[in-house]
Amino acid sequence: MIYEVFARKSRGEPLRHIGNLNAPDDDLAKVYAFQTYDEEKWFDMWVAPRDRFIEVFNVDRGAAV
Amino acid sequence: MMTATNVSEAAKAAALPDAVRAAVRDLILVLADSKRLLGTRYAEWILGAPELEAGIACASMSQDEWGHGRLLYALLRDFGDEVDRIEHGRDPAEYRSMGVLDAPPASWPELVALNALADLALTVQLEALRGSSYLPLRQRVQKLLEEEQFHAAHGAAWLRRLGRGGGPARDAAATAVRGLLSAVLQWFGPDSASARALLEAGIVDAAGSSLRARYLERAAALLGELDADDALTGVENDFSRFDEASRRVSGTAPDPATIARVRGDKNRAFLMD
Repeated sequence: MIYEVFARKSRGEPLRHIGNLNAPDDDLAKVYAFQTYDEEKWFDMWVAPRDRFIEVFNVDRGAAV
Repeated sequence: MMTATNVSEAAKAAALPDAVRAAVRDLILVLADSKRLLGTRYAEWILGAPELEAGIACASMSQDEWGHGRLLYALLRDFGDEVDRIEHGRDPAEYRSMGVLDAPPASWPELVALNALADLALTVQLEALRGSSYLPLRQRVQKLLEEEQFHAAHGAAWLRRLGRGGGPARDAAATAVRGLLSAVLQWFGPDSASARALLEAGIVDAAGSSLRARYLERAAALLGELDADDALTGVENDFSRFDEASRRVSGTAPDPATIARVRGDKNRAFLMD
């Protein structure tokens, strides 16, 4: 399963997409995200499975409703 | 459990009670060598892990362990040691790393077992130093433990994954775990006079069988992932050939090829400065 990884540099800043990774479950996704992307100093970090993202619209395809 | 009384803090090794100074140095060297070797075992799996992310995790964990080893070796200067000789000038027989790190793991489940069980043993030992009366250790332990959280999470998540996989994956993990357990439990050592002295001086807040009990509690959850909880019962600790200072079975040593790489033998000659 592909997970997208998000983080921010400081409190209050918007979340920024910083990459993705392959993991079989949430537990390993968290570990892999930390171990892969912790080189920089982050305020917080989040992962979410890509297949849980819901498209709203896309300029080429139009509205996804 | 014994509780420490009249403990005085020591900012320097020279201020430690004479009765424990050598044992504190022994413990630091045991931890430093074990972390150097564990980091080496992780590094061997940067290539060859079952997925890229697991290889990256091994790179990250080896970097952490080598960093911890460095920091612990540096503490030995306070005990009059020449740190460069400690890091680069010792024979395999002088290493005090955990016996289960002597040979490279032959398969990924064996590496996972080391990650989950040997790394956990080092963490449990470090936790016992959190409030140490030897201040240079106390001041450094917390940062090490924070980094260890993700090592533990990696080991646990992988054991769970192998357990969930069933069949040969679970069998290989269960065999690897069973193969390590008694040696890791023995590593905490006997309830000896020297263990008691460390407790009484407030260097550690648990030693020997009380540390082993803390470890068993944590390990039980991990073994549950593999339905191998039974491995925890009836483990006999035989200390007849156990050397307390090195926490090793007398007469054993890590494999020479590993130590040659750890010391950097082949390429030390290029240090011309």
